[in-house]
Amino acid sequence: MRRILALARKETYHILRDPRSLMVAIIMPIAMVILYGYAIDMELSDLPVGILDEDQSPASRELVTRMMSSQFIVDAGRLSSREEVEPGFRRGRFRAVVVIPRGFAESLVREPVSRVQVLIDGADATTAAAVDNYLRAAILLFNSGIAAGRPGSAELPMGARVRVLFNPQLESDNFIVPGLVAIVLVMICALLTSIAITREKETGTMEQVLTTPITPRQLVIGKVLPYLLIGSADGALVLLAGRFVFGVPMHGSWWVLAGYSLIYLLIALALGLLISAVAATQRVAMIMALMATLLPTMLLSGFIFPRASMPWPLQWIGQIIPATYYLEVIRGIMLKGRIWFPLEGGVMVGMALLLMAMAVKKFETTME
Amino acid sequence: MFRPIFWIAQKELRQLFRDRALLRVVLVVPMIQLFVFGYAANTDLKNVRVSVLDEDRSEGSRRLVDAYYASDVFVPGPAAGAPRDLDRFLLEGKTDAALWIPRGFSEDLARGDPASVAVTVDGVNGNVAGRVMGYATAIVRQESLARLEKVALAHPGLAARTHRVDADSRFYYNPELRSRHYMVPGIVVLIITIVSAMLTGIAVVREREIGTLEQLMVSPLTSGQIIAGKTIPIVVLAFLELAFATTVAVLWFRLPFEGSVLLLAGCAMAYLLVTLGVGLLVSTVSATQQQAMFTLWFFLVFGILMSGFFYPIENMAREVQWLTYLNPFRYMMSMVRGIFLQGATLPDVASDLVPLAAIGVVTFTGAVLRFQKRFT
Amino acid sequence: MKGRGAGMEGVPTASMSAGDVAPGKYAVLVQGLTRRFGDFTAVDGISFSVERGEIFGFLGANGAGKTTAIRMLCGLLAPTEGEAWVDGFPVVAAPEKIKRRIGYMSQRFGLYDDLTIQENVSFTGGIYGLSRREVTERGDLLLERLGLKDYRRRLTSSLPLGFKQRLALGCAVLHSPSVLFLDEPTGGVDPLARRQFWDLIYELADGGTTIFVTTHYMDEAEYCRRVSIMVDGRVVALDSPARLKQQTGAGTMQDVFLQVVGR
Repeated sequence: MRRILALARKETYHILRDPRSLMVAIIMPIAMVILYGYAIDMELSDLPVGILDEDQSPASRELVTRMMSSQFIVDAGRLSSREEVEPGFRRGRFRAVVVIPRGFAESLVREPVSRVQVLIDGADATTAAAVDNYLRAAILLFNSGIAAGRPGSAELPMGARVRVLFNPQLESDNFIVPGLVAIVLVMICALLTSIAITREKETGTMEQVLTTPITPRQLVIGKVLPYLLIGSADGALVLLAGRFVFGVPMHGSWWVLAGYSLIYLLIALALGLLISAVAATQRVAMIMALMATLLPTMLLSGFIFPRASMPWPLQWIGQIIPATYYLEVIRGIMLKGRIWFPLEGGVMVGMALLLMAMAVKKFETTME
Repeated sequence: MFRPIFWIAQKELRQLFRDRALLRVVLVVPMIQLFVFGYAANTDLKNVRVSVLDEDRSEGSRRLVDAYYASDVFVPGPAAGAPRDLDRFLLEGKTDAALWIPRGFSEDLARGDPASVAVTVDGVNGNVAGRVMGYATAIVRQESLARLEKVALAHPGLAARTHRVDADSRFYYNPELRSRHYMVPGIVVLIITIVSAMLTGIAVVREREIGTLEQLMVSPLTSGQIIAGKTIPIVVLAFLELAFATTVAVLWFRLPFEGSVLLLAGCAMAYLLVTLGVGLLVSTVSATQQQAMFTLWFFLVFGILMSGFFYPIENMAREVQWLTYLNPFRYMMSMVRGIFLQGATLPDVASDLVPLAAIGVVTFTGAVLRFQKRFT
Repeated sequence: MKGRGAGMEGVPTASMSAGDVAPGKYAVLVQGLTRRFGDFTAVDGISFSVERGEIFGFLGANGAGKTTAIRMLCGLLAPTEGEAWVDGFPVVAAPEKIKRRIGYMSQRFGLYDDLTIQENVSFTGGIYGLSRREVTERGDLLLERLGLKDYRRRLTSSLPLGFKQRLALGCAVLHSPSVLFLDEPTGGVDPLARRQFWDLIYELADGGTTIFVTTHYMDEAEYCRRVSIMVDGRVVALDSPARLKQQTGAGTMQDVFLQVVGR
């Protein structure tokens, strides 16, 4: 035990004296929380919309006012002809242009349905759909205004009462911050661990240590211990920042969350160990850690991009990524207050045992 | 003057082709990125599970349910027998949304009273939930309008009273609104960024690590020749990858390419000034490859997060938006997307190209000066 | 000791100025060369000269300032004070001219492990501006002489240390430098390989190349025509091995070194 502690202390010095490791271990998670929590908001707002009003009637101006009063839209000015539409899109002057055709006011009185055109820059599909929705919502308001003038005319026969569970304000922080814990843990445990151990192999100090009475197992535990602590501290930091700075709710139990997180942490460490057992140089270890753990975790686990929208091979790969299960668990605990996750918990325990066994075995064979 | 540059370039290429691990990173990893990102990084709404509890069991209610399933967005979730099943499915993550059509729905409709259904959405992913809400209510609204028109057809006298404004939406550049069209050009930028910055950073630091940099320093080579010899192969490689990624984007992912190839190449050149400069700068402050990689990675992660690649810049806090004007990735993302999708021309991209080129010249000159200082 | 050192043959006094000597006469001429890093003076006003075709041993304990001095002579580091000429060119004003006239080989060899012997040779020739024909002709001759011809397609990483050392020497002299700087060139190789290496050095010196060598092996110091010993940034002894032994009353260069440095 004393030997392990000596090793752990040595490893801690390594980390503390290497500013770049510190940067990745401490500043990166903090910066990510701040960036995601503060800077990035998934809700689209301030979308610039231009108007081409060919009618110039009180009715058309009324419609324009309705549209511009939407909190998501900003007025990007008036156009005088359709020729200005595409150059404006290309230069990013506006995301959409509403064309109110000549005779709009007249048609409004005469025809059952009067049409306006909404021209949208579709390059960014998500934003385009959002602009379309906001403008249609504004038109709906305009319609109910007409309806108010002539009772009964525009009322629809069916309606939907919509309720949102678990995150009624649709805050993206509530979704992203728990996910960040999964990313940060993989980053610290898999990436830093694998590089630290490979470095020892590469510089030959591993051999040095192995000539002492320390067993390979003690060596691994001693090396991994500081990263386990840093990983836990980073995870806790992200969670606390999310809870108390960005107001992510905690409907479940901190203890339950800590338990599941520990299992996930072990999985990440085992992955880091496996990589370091396979990789010969730090460069290879870094690349493997990025390609085999971090990128899949960021892309395929449902951290940001919904897995349901992916083609089946990627969904399938997502099923062997530990973070896929952990994300379900941490979001379930924090936002839904769940305690039991028979499927996810079982898979995670299985993964932890399997990977740990593989890592230890692989390590012992490469040591000899 | 030029011959030594050629010799260094030849040596760099030789070393690259002999280092299998690095070669794999340079050639295979971008391909994987292109395909995995291309498919994974999409924000289209698809396969949203909706569990239905139809207590009305009338023709009208079945029509509404069919309308849900007929859309591209929704697929059937587990069937519910009682309202509390719906809540349980949502809690356990077995479904993403729930539709409850209460008893009396069709009677209300027939009577002309407002008939209402309950839609419940799992809000955990706020962004997706907001859009699911939009689609779910839009389907009910469409069904309403269809019903209204049917009534109006049957009773022409009523038609005159249903004055409404409706919008015809036309989506330029991407009529099917595929999010992939927006993501793939971003991935192209990502690929050339990683390859050029990482390779440059490593190329110099590795020579310092093994002691050959010293050997070059005592030779009559100027620092300019060394930089040129080391960066020219990387520039060539970056252009090859740009060409490859663009080809895959057009032929495999079926992206439009509306703009000019020449303009794309010109923008890439200005951009490479930045990435090469950053790589060189990092190499002058790093003693080991690991340090160089950590440093580069740190800057790349934040540069890319704040480039508008995943998250639109308009959504960021105002102060952060100002900060992004210093971010070279931002300009490149926007130009490449414009050239691919909108057929942007030189005047269109000028507002991005000028600041990018300025950042490029400053970064690269700074890197060369710093390199020279460390070098002699 | 100080008084004795100053009076030794071949040590120009600090009062000498460039006008008194023709720098072109010497392979290396150093006058009051000083380099400070902040408060620390690594090289403290050293002065000496090295004649053409001479094998000059540059000794000193670790940290005595040898490497700093060599870096200044190779034009890698600007002196804080003083001046030095290599092959007649001043290091402060014309470092680029010097770089064409010197060869440099360090303990780390400075070879590319992932290139073959031939490729290392061609590359070195290329960066020194030799034409393709010159590279082929001189390279062939050199590899033949170094006994590396049969291995020219082998990767450098697969060579034993002695071979790498010879290859590094070959690369350093491919462009026929007039002064060759060797910074602890024989670290870690076996006695036989060292012997062979010094045979090559003698051959080069016979051909008119000036050899400027640092080493920690005192038997190698015996091979030099003259040696200097640096302590704390100053040159405290400079003479032929035989006379140094005589002056200090020591039996071997090892004893001379220990006496001078350990004082």
